[in-house]
Order: sequence, then structure tokens, then C-alpha cells
Amino acid sequence: MSWPEPGRSRGLAALWLAAAFAASAMADPAVLGAAWGAALLLLRRGAGRHLRRALLLAAPLSAAAALAAWLWARLAGLPLPEPEALAAMVLRPPLIAFLGLAMLARLDPFRALGAWPAATRLLAVVLGQVHALRLLSEESALGLRSRLPARPRVGQVVGGAGAITGALLGLAVRNARDVGDALRSRGA
Amino acid sequence: MHVPDGFLSPQITLPAWVAAAPLWAWAARRQFGRTPVEALPVMGSLTALAFVVQALAFPVPGGTTAHVSGVMLLALLYHPLTAFACESLVLLLQALLLGAGGVTTLGVNALALGLLGPGAGWLAWQALRRRHERAAAFAAAWVATQASALAVAGVLGLQHALSARYFPVPFPVSLAATMLPSLLLTGPLEGAYTLLTLSLLRKARLHELA
Repeated sequence: MSWPEPGRSRGLAALWLAAAFAASAMADPAVLGAAWGAALLLLRRGAGRHLRRALLLAAPLSAAAALAAWLWARLAGLPLPEPEALAAMVLRPPLIAFLGLAMLARLDPFRALGAWPAATRLLAVVLGQVHALRLLSEESALGLRSRLPARPRVGQVVGGAGAITGALLGLAVRNARDVGDALRSRGA
Repeated sequence: MHVPDGFLSPQITLPAWVAAAPLWAWAARRQFGRTPVEALPVMGSLTALAFVVQALAFPVPGGTTAHVSGVMLLALLYHPLTAFACESLVLLLQALLLGAGGVTTLGVNALALGLLGPGAGWLAWQALRRRHERAAAFAAAWVATQASALAVAGVLGLQHALSARYFPVPFPVSLAATMLPSLLLTGPLEGAYTLLTLSLLRKARLHELA
């Protein structure tokens, strides 16, 4: 029996938040290993793709943090951190990233927010505006690059970013007025 | 600079969520209007602006890139609470869409990067703007970046003090990892970006839109 929408997306969102906080409380590598196993088994659809992305996103930073902790203790002549603590440090952030990616691929954020119309509208406005502003930003960056014979220097990029921000701000304010008018005309 | 999921335990992240949630509601109501039809378009558009600005990449020595946050610019154009509300939404979107930062650490990140940083920058702006407005804009953005970095380092240090078994990275390492890039790279970059953008907006009289 399949779980009907919108309850499915809401339930998955709640489960994901609970799982993320639960995983963030784990400090024992054996428990984290078991959690990894359970997550890979339960969320096996698309697991390879999500695992690769989670490792790329979270593993370098957590491994660097564990290495820095070990190096600091070694250089400062302090007792070395427990291997279990370092292992947990490396295992925990990618697990939470994996849970997030796997759950977000399974739920519809608009359905998950269905009980809160204001939040749904806000999400729709933000995503629509991000799309519009990003197009303008990318076109402006391409325009800047096409006008320069060599690769732009930092100063030119900062100046270009200032100009793009000015254009984006003007567009964002105009769009906000248009969206407000559209909401009012639909009786929001 | 934001803290990723898994670096802080619920001992810290849950109280941060509890502290941030009423502040989000208050900031949204105070800065964007009492009714959704007033608040949503402006809040959505400014959040989208901040999200897109944070995707602008600046080449830095070493072949990599750095990013500005643009949060101090929003604070100077509108109000620190506007910046707090929009930055919090940007952090949520980054966590949901890009997997950057995190949902468990959202409260901590919003308070450090959205409230403490712009709040400190705003105080620097208020103290310096009458002496030299351009220098004040640069200083405000620089101070905001340092205050946020220091807050992030402080929270990571607190986590180490609470449980070195959970987070084995000691405070001096967290402090160096957050403050060195912020002092040498992102702080000056954010300052230059804020100063240049405000100057351009003034020339184009676009600040009247704000």
C-alpha cells in the first residue's frame, strides 16, 4: 500500500528532521556504522548517487577537521584524540548529508509545506525569483567576460559584482511589487 | 564559513533553534509587514537576491574562488533584521538545494552569520559613518565578517569543551581555521564588494528603491 500525498511528503520531512538530529547526537563509531548500514538499506533507491554526492560535500571537511585535531595534539605535545572520536568525526557529517539528499529526492517540498500556505507561497516566490535573478546574473557575467580581452582581475570582478548586484536589486524590488500586485489581484 | 551538519551536537543546535525561531517570526513581522501579502513578495525577492549574490565567485590566488555573503549590504540598505531574516532563508535554501551547511545547524548559522555579524557591522557603521561614509561601509562589512567567524569559532570551541569525544577539534584550531581566511581574504573582499556596490547604487540612485 502506498502512502498518499500530501501526508507522504510531510511524514518524510518530519522523519528526515528527526533522523538528522538523531544522527547528530551519535558519537560512537559502532552506532554510526550501524546507522550508515540502516540508511543505505532503507534508502537504497539512488543510494549510489546520493552517497557519492554526500561524500563529496561532507567528507573532505570532516576528514580535514579530524586530521587537524590529530596534528594539533601531536605538535602541541598533548594527548592524541581517541581514534573513536576521529572516526565518528569522519562518519557523522556525511551520514547526515546522505540522509538529507536521499530524503529530499523522495519528497515534494511544496506538498510537505501544504499545511502552511504562507510558507508555500514564500517558497514559490523565492524559487521563481532565484531563477529570474540567476539568469540575469549569468548573462551579466558572460557580458563582462566578453568585453575583456584577458581573464578579469579581482578588482574587475568585484566591480562587475557590484554592478550586477545593483541590477539585481532593481529587478528584485520591481519583481516584489509585481508579485504583491499579482497576489492581491488573486484575492490573497 | 557556516557550520555543517554533524559538527555540533543537539546540546547546542536545539537551544539555537529555540532561540532563533521567535527571532525569525519577530524579524519577518517587523521588517516585512503584518500580512502575508505585504511580506512575502519583498522577503522572497530579497532572499533570492542574497542567494544569487552568494553564488558570485571571485578568483583568489591559488586557483580557487571565494564568495561574498552580501548580508552586510542588505543590513546597510534595509536593516540588520531584514538581513537576518533573508540570510536565514538563504541558509535554509543552501541546506535544502545544495547540501551546504545544514538543517540541524541552521539556528546556529543564522544567529552567527545573520544576526551577530550584521549586528556588529551595523554598530561599526553607526560609529563611523559620520567621519567617513565609504570607510564606514568597508569597515562594517569587514567587522561583520570577523564577528561571524569569531562566533562560529566560539560555538565550535564550546562543542569541544562540552565533549572532546564528540568534537575532537580544539578551540585554537577552530579559531585559526575560521579567522585566518576571514581576516586575510573574505573580510577584505566583503568590505570591497560592499563599498563598491553601495557607491554604484548611490551613483545610479538605485538606493531610492531600497
